[in-house]
Amino acid sequence: MDAQQLTTLAGVIDKKMNRQLKQYIDICARCAICKDACHQYVGTGDFKYLPARRAELIRQVYKKYFDKTGRFVPALYEARDPDDNLLDELYDSAYACTGCRRCMYYCPFSIDTAWILSVAKAILIAAGRGNEMLGQLADAAIFKGDNAEMFNDVMISGFEDIQEEVRAITGNPESQVPVNKQGADILYVALAGAHSIRPAAVIFEEAGESWTISMFEAANYGFFYGDAEKARLITKRYIDEAIRLGVKEIVVPECGHAYRVAEFFYEAWSKEPMPFKVSHILEKVDQYIKAGRITVDKGLIEGKVTYHDPCQLGRNGGKFEEPRDIVKAVTDNFVDLTPNRAEQWCCGGGGGIVAMEEFKDVRLASGIKKVEQLKASGASVLACPCENCRLQIEELNEVHELGLQVWQVIDLVVAAMPLKGKKPMQA
Amino acid sequence: MSEENKIDLELDLKGLLCPLPMVKVSQNIGKVEVGGIIRAVATDPGAMADIPAWAKSTGNEVLQAEKVDGQFVFLVKRVK
Ligand code: SF4
Ligand code: SF4
Repeated sequence: MDAQQLTTLAGVIDKKMNRQLKQYIDICARCAICKDACHQYVGTGDFKYLPARRAELIRQVYKKYFDKTGRFVPALYEARDPDDNLLDELYDSAYACTGCRRCMYYCPFSIDTAWILSVAKAILIAAGRGNEMLGQLADAAIFKGDNAEMFNDVMISGFEDIQEEVRAITGNPESQVPVNKQGADILYVALAGAHSIRPAAVIFEEAGESWTISMFEAANYGFFYGDAEKARLITKRYIDEAIRLGVKEIVVPECGHAYRVAEFFYEAWSKEPMPFKVSHILEKVDQYIKAGRITVDKGLIEGKVTYHDPCQLGRNGGKFEEPRDIVKAVTDNFVDLTPNRAEQWCCGGGGGIVAMEEFKDVRLASGIKKVEQLKASGASVLACPCENCRLQIEELNEVHELGLQVWQVIDLVVAAMPLKGKKPMQA
Repeated sequence: MSEENKIDLELDLKGLLCPLPMVKVSQNIGKVEVGGIIRAVATDPGAMADIPAWAKSTGNEVLQAEKVDGQFVFLVKRVK
């Protein structure tokens, strides 16, 4: 790496390392309590996945450039240049991390390793070594958003097909999937897949909600990639659309990171207040059930049901009770996983890792705690409101022959609704 | 099928939910030579926007994106 590149990377580090992050790398006591919290370290026993070790790499580069002791006696402080070896180590540490923040929960100083690793991603991107797949997916989303008219016809046709399916499920030929409806109260920012729209539409329509969808989706690979500007652009598309449509509230789908991006990150990225109330779809569904706006029957779901807290919705989003209240409303046969809520084990599928083939082995190995939890629960049905978690758990289900049915929570709700139409298949 | 549309790789993406069809095409494009063609069949309607958007933003080419008997059939050519 030449001097010019090193100067560029030093600039990135300087820009990203704010006071809080500097404090994190200074106060780590090397107690290694975090090692037992990280599903990747526990599942592989590989030192490179130990949370404090991952953060240590950033400390080493930082010391080299911004700390006198590291600059003048680098060997003593293990200060290192971001050479190819270090970049390789940073890549594994940062892109494998699912951002679950379980290490932070158990760390006595609440050190946010996932946040520290956002500096690693910024360094890698500046060095042209960001994850290619996540970068491509982020760029595709930005292209789709910038050229919405190009996809208008195929998307409208897809929404019309979904509307037909919704009518077949509700048994009501008037059920709608409203698209770009001016003045609706709610903009539902779905995922691209029909499975994210169909059950939500059934529930909104049966609840008599004033709602609409638009051409823009909630998934944000810019966030996983580690590029705040790409992430902001992807989010901005639906924020601008919500402003144009004049809605009062944005509702995000069963997707962990989409909720966190809209509720917690967008304001920081855009430096503007979020002009709407942001809700998760399960908050709305919980309200509809409690207010009697939709009816669910307890006898319609067979088997013992358990619930997995996606890290971004639970530990990092604070939504623990609404999903549980929904599941308990549709079955008397509910059992929680142990541990649960803020202590819930990461399933191993977050942070975009399911899209990165190179991490498949560590991903599957890191699911072992989730497999143990699921087996111990004795459940035959798992409700799980995150796309990435479901992909991972479905794969674990196959590999470990758990015999589980893995459901979106809203699919479980629709299956428990006494509707006139035909019962939908699981998503 | 014309000679220039010889299929180099078939991808069965039926049942996969978006954005996975796009992810799978992206993961597999490197398995065909430049100029090679992937034929992918998906069932999620979201793929009709996702896969062409991915191709445009990565500089690859979608030769065909059609709904056939309720399935979505794509011919994707690796350009670079
Ligand atoms: S638990 Fe916290 S203080 Fe202890 S090694 Fe891990 S990051 Fe450092
Ligand atoms: S955020 Fe999760 S995956 Fe990342 S280091 Fe911490 S425990 Fe491990």
